Amino acid sequence: MSYLTKEGQRGEMKMEGIEGDASEEGAGRYTLKPTRINNEDIMFCVDVEAESLVEMKTVGVTRLDSIKQAILLFVNSKLSINPDHRFAFATLSKSASWLRKEFSSDVESTIAAVRALSAITGSSGQADLTNLFRLAAHEAKKSSAQNRILRVILIYCRSSVRPHHQWPVNQKLFTLDVMYLHDKPGPDNCPQAVYDALVDALEQVSEYEGYIHESGHGLPRTLFRFMSMLLSHPQQRCPQDDCDIPKPLMKKPAESTNGEDNVHVSTSQ
Amino acid sequence: MSFDGFPPFISAQLHYLLNHFPDKIKVEQVVSGGNKSYGVGLDRFTLLIPYCLDYIKWDVIYNAEFPLAPPDIIFGPEDEDFHPLHMTGAEGEGDLKSLTRNILSDWNNKDPTRLLALIQEMRDQYMSYQRKRVGEVDDDRLKFEISTICSREGIEMHISSGAEKPEEVKFAVPLMDMNINKMVHGCPWRHPQKIYLQVIYPVGRKYASTPSAPRLKLMSTIELRALFSIDDVKLPSWLDGMCMAEYLPHLEESLQKQVLEAVSLIDIRRCFIEALTPLFGRPLEADPVFCRKATFLASSGSFVFLVHFLFSTQFPKQQPALMLQSSQHISPQGVPKKSPLLTEYPWSPRWEVSQMSERIFDFLADESLNFKRFCNESQPQH
Repeated sequence: MSYLTKEGQRGEMKMEGIEGDASEEGAGRYTLKPTRINNEDIMFCVDVEAESLVEMKTVGVTRLDSIKQAILLFVNSKLSINPDHRFAFATLSKSASWLRKEFSSDVESTIAAVRALSAITGSSGQADLTNLFRLAAHEAKKSSAQNRILRVILIYCRSSVRPHHQWPVNQKLFTLDVMYLHDKPGPDNCPQAVYDALVDALEQVSEYEGYIHESGHGLPRTLFRFMSMLLSHPQQRCPQDDCDIPKPLMKKPAESTNGEDNVHVSTSQ
Repeated sequence: MSFDGFPPFISAQLHYLLNHFPDKIKVEQVVSGGNKSYGVGLDRFTLLIPYCLDYIKWDVIYNAEFPLAPPDIIFGPEDEDFHPLHMTGAEGEGDLKSLTRNILSDWNNKDPTRLLALIQEMRDQYMSYQRKRVGEVDDDRLKFEISTICSREGIEMHISSGAEKPEEVKFAVPLMDMNINKMVHGCPWRHPQKIYLQVIYPVGRKYASTPSAPRLKLMSTIELRALFSIDDVKLPSWLDGMCMAEYLPHLEESLQKQVLEAVSLIDIRRCFIEALTPLFGRPLEADPVFCRKATFLASSGSFVFLVHFLFSTQFPKQQPALMLQSSQHISPQGVPKKSPLLTEYPWSPRWEVSQMSERIFDFLADESLNFKRFCNESQPQH
């Protein structure tokens, strides 16, 4: 079942989607323009309220466990693409607060910060993103002075709490990406409404094209897959609807030259 | 780099120096000269100043207790004869002398530009001092060489003498009057990139009938490597009886061609990256100025991984190096699973770009199965 509440794919939360994003070709041919891109300062903001402790499909693994793993994978991947990207960490309960404020490209310090991530007991029943945006805007000015751009990656876990924010309409000082982990929709929750609120926030505050992914079926590898898609550099992104990655690396069966079909030619050299 | 612990006036001057000196200047050995128990701040450090393709080390000694005074500068032990305030002049040096005097006597510790002015002035004087020393060397061949290249701008020279080392004269000759920075679209270089020829002559022999060739080495500013590697340049041979005035134009002409070619290769790499996208999708990130690397996200079943492409400056003669990295596997120590650097696979620079792309795609389709197996063997997929 999918709910269409906005134009375009972004408004549709795919309840079963695993493999696919839009499979159409990206609009227009890709060109690599000779314009400099900036190194990134990436601020993770992880939801640490009770729902982050919901178990994934893998027994004994909570959402927070997978999120920690995903962050480590992300940071390692990002640094292997470019060792000059940097990372900092914040948490979200009722509002956002710093976990590790200094941006750093050192993997060891990321490991330490991730270890320090722990859930709080109870739920406030609220998620106010305003302070997160304030902190991000403040950091964005500092990043900009160092010729960097700031990105927030918000990882949110609540199925019934719609986040809200108050933010001036034209202040787009940083890019916002969202990864949303939730329960299957039912009579007692509203993940679609939460998703819509996250989309609203993203579209309002994000400087460059922000990406949002969601998953309701609790597979860690789905989370890792979506987080990998967030590796893409904001200044080189296409609109999310046109995303065509990851591409499957599969050889097509060879054209039949002998009238034989399905001859699988392997490159042996 | 932050300089906590310096009184603000020193910090301001040091920052200004580091940000505005035309070449990379380094700072080390920051200490405090004062008695630490009085809480006196740091006030002395060593500067490594680029000169003649090497560094000269000068100690800069402020005195935090007397902030209005200019710093003292202590030169290296080899340069006992370097007295910038007392240099007797060849013509024009009378002006230099008074300039240094003015900088010091007119010292304003609140002006952040002063240290830079002082160091630049001293370095200019050091250059003259070395030039004079080299000119005094009793070696006919060297005197001849110097006379033929003296008119070239920007040559720095250095005479080294030590108890154990034989005397040698080193020349740093900037080559090619090209503004390489301007040739690169979106150029990120803060400093102009330059190529130098280092020429080292032994000293002390009388003019032989066939003077031996000097030691030659090409050097460049570091950032140039993104565009062009001097390691790939084969220096033209120094023929018997040659002199620098004959050798240099020959070398420069060849270098100019190579630099121009290197610039044209940027767009060759750019086109190739673009040609990969129909098969590999849009890259996660690609180097937009030098096009030396691009990373894509790929899948093999439910296994998702990164594909890194690394292009040398010799592409397409040299094929891209590839590396796979899992987006799902990480060792307990926090090390991601990567393939080795893959450099041997079917390749010909004469193929059409689309064929290059297809062949790499096919190769990686096979290789990714091996890689997936390797990742899962040591650690089951989540």
